[in-house]
Amino acid sequence: MGVNLQANMLEAVSMILFGIGFGNLLLQKNLIKKIIGLNIMDSAVYLFLAEKGYIRGRVAPIVVDGVQSVSAYINPIPSGLVLTGIVVSVSVSALMLSLTIRLYRRYHTLDLDQISMMMKREE
Amino acid sequence: MDFVCNFPFFSILLTLFSGTICSMLPRRAAKWVNTGVILAAGGMSLALLIWMLSGGECFVYRMGHFPAPWGNEIRAGILEAAMALFFCLIMLLSMWGGRKKLDEEVEESKHNLYYVLVNLLLSSLLALVYTNDLFTAYVFVEINTIAACGLIMIRQIGRTLAAAVRYMIMSLVGSGLLLIGLCMLYDLTGHLLMSNIREQVEVIMAEGTYAIPLVITVALMVVGLAIKSALFPFHAWLPDAYGYSTISSAAILSSLASKGYIFLLIKIIYRVIGFTVFNNTHIINVLFVFGLMAMVFGSLSAIKESGIRRMIAFSSVAQVGYIYMGIGLGTKVGMVASVYHIFAHAAGKALLFIAVIGLTDVSGFSRRFIDQTGAGFRNKIAGIGFTVGSLSMVGVPVFAGFVSKILFAQAAVNNSRKLLPTMIVLAVSTILNAIYFMKTVIRIYTPAPDCGFEGVALRKEKLYALSILLFIALNIALGMSSQPVVDAISTGLDMFG
Amino acid sequence: MNGAVWILASIGVPVVMGLVLLCVPSIRKRSAVVGITAAGLIMTAVSVFAAVGSGAGSVTLWYLAKGVPVYFQIDSVGQLFASMVTLVWLCGGAFAFSYMKHEENEKWYYGCYLLVYGIVNGLDFSGNIVTFYMFYELMTILSFPLVLHSRSREAIMAGLRYLFYSFCGAYLVLFGIYFLYRYGTTLTFTADGVLDPQLTAGRESFLLFVAFLMILGFGVKAGMFPLHGWLPVAHPVAPAPASAVLSGIIVKSGVLGMLRVVYYLFGTAFLRGSWVQYVWLSLALFTVFMGSMLAYRERVLKKRLAYSTVSQISYILFGLAVMNQTAFTGSMLHVVCHACIKSGLFLVAGAVIVQTGKTRVEELTGIGKEMPVLLWCYTICSLALIGIPPTGGFLSKWYLAMGALEGNALPVFGWLGPVVLLVSALLTAGYLLPVTIRGFFPGQGFDYGNLQKREPGVAMLLPILILTSVSVFAGMFPSALVRFLGGMLW
Repeated sequence: MGVNLQANMLEAVSMILFGIGFGNLLLQKNLIKKIIGLNIMDSAVYLFLAEKGYIRGRVAPIVVDGVQSVSAYINPIPSGLVLTGIVVSVSVSALMLSLTIRLYRRYHTLDLDQISMMMKREE
Repeated sequence: MDFVCNFPFFSILLTLFSGTICSMLPRRAAKWVNTGVILAAGGMSLALLIWMLSGGECFVYRMGHFPAPWGNEIRAGILEAAMALFFCLIMLLSMWGGRKKLDEEVEESKHNLYYVLVNLLLSSLLALVYTNDLFTAYVFVEINTIAACGLIMIRQIGRTLAAAVRYMIMSLVGSGLLLIGLCMLYDLTGHLLMSNIREQVEVIMAEGTYAIPLVITVALMVVGLAIKSALFPFHAWLPDAYGYSTISSAAILSSLASKGYIFLLIKIIYRVIGFTVFNNTHIINVLFVFGLMAMVFGSLSAIKESGIRRMIAFSSVAQVGYIYMGIGLGTKVGMVASVYHIFAHAAGKALLFIAVIGLTDVSGFSRRFIDQTGAGFRNKIAGIGFTVGSLSMVGVPVFAGFVSKILFAQAAVNNSRKLLPTMIVLAVSTILNAIYFMKTVIRIYTPAPDCGFEGVALRKEKLYALSILLFIALNIALGMSSQPVVDAISTGLDMFG
Repeated sequence: MNGAVWILASIGVPVVMGLVLLCVPSIRKRSAVVGITAAGLIMTAVSVFAAVGSGAGSVTLWYLAKGVPVYFQIDSVGQLFASMVTLVWLCGGAFAFSYMKHEENEKWYYGCYLLVYGIVNGLDFSGNIVTFYMFYELMTILSFPLVLHSRSREAIMAGLRYLFYSFCGAYLVLFGIYFLYRYGTTLTFTADGVLDPQLTAGRESFLLFVAFLMILGFGVKAGMFPLHGWLPVAHPVAPAPASAVLSGIIVKSGVLGMLRVVYYLFGTAFLRGSWVQYVWLSLALFTVFMGSMLAYRERVLKKRLAYSTVSQISYILFGLAVMNQTAFTGSMLHVVCHACIKSGLFLVAGAVIVQTGKTRVEELTGIGKEMPVLLWCYTICSLALIGIPPTGGFLSKWYLAMGALEGNALPVFGWLGPVVLLVSALLTAGYLLPVTIRGFFPGQGFDYGNLQKREPGVAMLLPILILTSVSVFAGMFPSALVRFLGGMLW
């Protein structure tokens, strides 16, 4: 168990982070904290991907000194995926934040429960 | 390779770029571009479908110049083409039906944005239908979410904003699970293309070394997609989102956006995990149980609801339950029934949403049930549309819903273990459906001579009437000549294999 | 081929005419509405009789799903039911032309009336169970506007109840169809049943259960206990001519459904002697007795007639459940007689409402002095329903009792059946004849001074007279009819 954990420390960390982010996104009442949770969750996934895509002792597949052997480089796709993922999560966070601003302007609170109560009162 | 084979790629690209163009055009032009693009995408899907049916094989389309394990791919078969065609059709009719309401409810400066979002949504749906690559699927799932969120909040009132936030949060939870699931799958198999993953999955299952992680991975992805498509316990965001957004959005979201995720799930089941592997896990039983619960509880919530639009929204929860129940039956017939129900529900539910707006408009814009008294007389075409949609949802012969019920039951008969619960819940759900839909139909046809609301002449709403008539025709066509559709679905599923 | 065309015409013509009436807003004048309705009724009647007369023919329209076509054919059962429907529908329509004058939304009524006519024709000529089911559901939905014609709160509640019972029943039937699809060779109605002996081997008890569910499901429409609750509520709230066809014809579709299921799908050989037959017999007998008792206690004339329908339909079901030729003949005779008699009675009740506005039995004192012809019709119909010779009702009950006693095939029901039928006949006399007695002999203390001639016009009387005379003549000259009915299956 201990040895396994040590060998896969980054995976374990990323899973724990994912859990933290997921829990925050789901359970927090404050919208900003929810968004923070979302970002933690996404970052955990990217950490996981980056870790899985890296092989110790190899370098990024950029040919500098003429070495063209496959065993010298890592697969670039996971890194590419991380980049794509970051773009997606940035745009989603931006959208969430803009929504939050609108809601805050209208209701002057960040608490979703309070907002629904106010909405009921409006009607 | 025939020229037709380029069409899936063209249609995705066309819709994607027309979205960008729409944001710069004047309002009227954007409207026409939007209609034209949906028509063009639909036409291309139709051409593809005809080509497929007249003997074309399913094909894989390479994007860029990288061969299989590295490059990105599009794959098209009969089912994909049919699904794309259907999505375009429903999208077009929903836009027509909600056009007038859109002009009234949404600020003029935002109309362009609306068309942008619709085009983006269509493009992401087409991509979800056609893609052969899991990560591409994830990206378009997110685009779909963002576009859908925009469609909800384009009508800027408190309810829609809050609904959009709730929708966003649930969707992000879902896509987070999907993302981690597919990263783990990538880790286990080393591939992102569906067909390659499938080969590796078979190897893993044969060796039996990573069976449990694989099951967990699959479970994460399935749960993620189930959350996004509003399966029963995760439906909290749905009633407000469908109930208060502008009507085209409600129709599009309920009949298309959630169905795109379900179609992706079916694709993952067939093309990534493998039907038999998936059937041997317990995930399928979980889906089955939640499907059944959705059918009952969705209908019960709909009965309790006092607002007519929220009632229809809750009915969507029940109908999504039918689809998951069909998947949960674990037979090919069940899957055919589910796919057919995607069609049937999309046709019926979009019709209901479009019709209901006509009814509420002639009832002083009130959504309350009691104010709809006699609305069927004040707006005749909407009344007829609502009645047809209701009958289809209840499962009366001649309309689409009946055929899907027959198909579900035929599928259940083949599975002796799940036979009894399916039959009982189908019966209960049919009766519950009948209760709230028939109650509404009677309400709208109860004369209310002194209600003080003005009726509306058919002449003034030609486009609206046209879209409702086409929806009715679609429902009847699906219900009367279901055999070709079912055959096409069946062959399409075989092509997945 | 000819038969096929006439079948389609008998379904298509009234449906199209009905849709024209409902959908074309420019038809407003009463004369135009009545003219179109009359033309539709007559054209349809001609096509029905042409189809019945052509004797044979079948047509497949299209396929709903694999092996499930929409298929029509003419067979003896279809001929009998279609002719009966046409007779009653024409009379009801003719009566409605004068009755509906005092109701609103006439156009709506006539449109639905025509639509349901076409649907019922489709039901009678259906060649397989799925087509049958399709028309059965459509009939439920389209006859629904007839029930809630007045749109009062009472009518809406009654209509809702009608709808829920019908949907529950239809679902039970649909449930059975799924299994027939699985265990049968075909879904087409075939004289000795369609069960595939190889597939059914070992699953007999389960299939018996399925058969029972289907019988129960069609029992909803036929008003069989325990699912009869909608009938006494829904029939009386409709306008009188609609009640007449609801009680005379629509309930018979449940009978037709059971007949098709038992005799043409499962086959009598499969069901005879099983628990299903005995449960069915007991339910039918219990309903006969219960319906009569309830009718006896009811005070509103139309409701009393509706309870009477509950009881009388179960006579027919009893005959079907006995499953031999004599009882079957009795059943079919009673189908014809009851259709004419009950429609006639409802039309009488309608005429009384139009002329006097009275609905309760005790108010009807002395109406025989005011409307002698009408009350004579009522009396003759009542006598026929009770089963006094030489009317048709006597003959059908005679055959039913003979069938039950025949060959000692049924242990207890052989004697119990006829006894219950007899008791119920007495009760029938008890609840129908007081109207006659008080109508003609109002007794002492009756104010003769207020009497005025209130006999309804010929347009109203004629349909009633026709129905009354058919119910009498069926009993007086029965041989050809009995021969036809007896030869339907044997």
